[in-house]
Amino acid sequence: MCSLAAPRLWCHTCLSSSRFEVRNELLPPTVYLRLKRKPEKRLERWFLKAGFWDSIASSILKNNNATETMVPPSTLHEEEGEEPIPDQLLLADRSLSDGTQEQIIFSLTGDVDVHALQDLCDKVGWPRRPLSKVAVSLKNSFLVATLYSITKSPEGDEERKQLIGMARATSDQAFNATIWDVIVDPSYQGQGLGKALVQKLTRALLQRDIGNISLFADSKVVDFYKNLGFEADPEGIKGMFWHLPF
Amino acid sequence: MAIHSTFAISYASLSPIEPQFKSKPKTKLNPPPLSISTNRSSVDPLQIQHLFASCGHSCHRFPRTGPDGRVELVELEKLRVALAHSFVVVSVLCKARFLEGEMEKGALGFGFGDLFGDSDQRLVGFGRAVSDCGLTASIHDVVVIPSLQRRGIGQRIVNRILRILTSRGIYDISALCTEKERLFFKACGFGFDSLGSTTMMYTQSPGPTTENDGFMVTTAGRMQLLVPPPTHQLKLWKKE
Repeated sequence: MCSLAAPRLWCHTCLSSSRFEVRNELLPPTVYLRLKRKPEKRLERWFLKAGFWDSIASSILKNNNATETMVPPSTLHEEEGEEPIPDQLLLADRSLSDGTQEQIIFSLTGDVDVHALQDLCDKVGWPRRPLSKVAVSLKNSFLVATLYSITKSPEGDEERKQLIGMARATSDQAFNATIWDVIVDPSYQGQGLGKALVQKLTRALLQRDIGNISLFADSKVVDFYKNLGFEADPEGIKGMFWHLPF
Repeated sequence: MAIHSTFAISYASLSPIEPQFKSKPKTKLNPPPLSISTNRSSVDPLQIQHLFASCGHSCHRFPRTGPDGRVELVELEKLRVALAHSFVVVSVLCKARFLEGEMEKGALGFGFGDLFGDSDQRLVGFGRAVSDCGLTASIHDVVVIPSLQRRGIGQRIVNRILRILTSRGIYDISALCTEKERLFFKACGFGFDSLGSTTMMYTQSPGPTTENDGFMVTTAGRMQLLVPPPTHQLKLWKKE
């Protein structure tokens, strides 16, 4: 979802019709000011190398048949005092046993193919939800974090991009946020990817001074969230849900 | 009964089975005529700030209280942002002259008549909902001024929010409740999650040791929250 401070060239990338468009919503000016950080801290948090962008651009743009090329992120931020929030982050780069090269990319741009998401939900055994509702929910979520696996064959000519994880947060962008639908492909679980998804969402929310971050956890994953700094029923605060009248 | 452009509520028509209103002594105020609106432009953030203050309500889940026990005033700019990004905003208004007695008793001590300008409508109740407009919604900040509490106004605010959400096909509606608010939401038709999920909130504060040097901390009410550090690269296991 393009409601983060940094203007994104990815927003202009043409997506095929089977994906839904990201809503390019600019924050009101006052929220930009709130993201000001001390200048000496900015460099510490800039962790993407310029060369990385070219490799990502060529692999992902090839899939999308777009002709625009990425520019290094340092040129995206022209406003003084704006925190550079990376659109994409390379989490892992490894060779698999069959010689293929795999990169795992974390992204906050929010472009998710609802069909790919449904396949992922099927893999973890979640009930299916109407695709149109899912698409609307993703479009109107404040943050949508995704994990993609990009595999290159040993010859280097075949590339496959696969959605392997997602998490989203709804928010009023000031006080409250709720994290929903944290999902990781079962064959990629147990490697710290779910933790990375939740930590990055939490970080993005806290950086925007959104202090009430809540979620509703299944009993099996309560410990997972406890290890990430979440507390069950803090000070007796519980979530209640509307029950449909009979 | 006058019909306003927003939906007018008159107590005489609302609750014919509640004789206690009719039998109140004449020295007390008659139940004031109220209007309920879902038009977010009819809501003045300054009035909301005043309403929250008179109810001791904070938008922070763990609010900071001053030495006099009062919660700090909600930041106006953040309130504006929150309103702009709330899917539903419900306000209950009342003509000021019906509230003169209450306003004088109000604890803030300075003339709000001047602050609100010519409009004689005062905000006496409020509620809002945040949603992804497709699957889920959450209700926040349902408040009614103390002098008009326990008359069903809060319930009408929640019902109005529910009506709007369900008309858009959103049925997964949650509300975070303190112990005190649970009974209210139960009366509005809310219950604990039938799927047995646990409500969790991020409360990680920086530890006492120096290992937290260089970590960002943000404040939410009285909570100091540790901002998770950025992950540069994960050490993932090689797949076999």
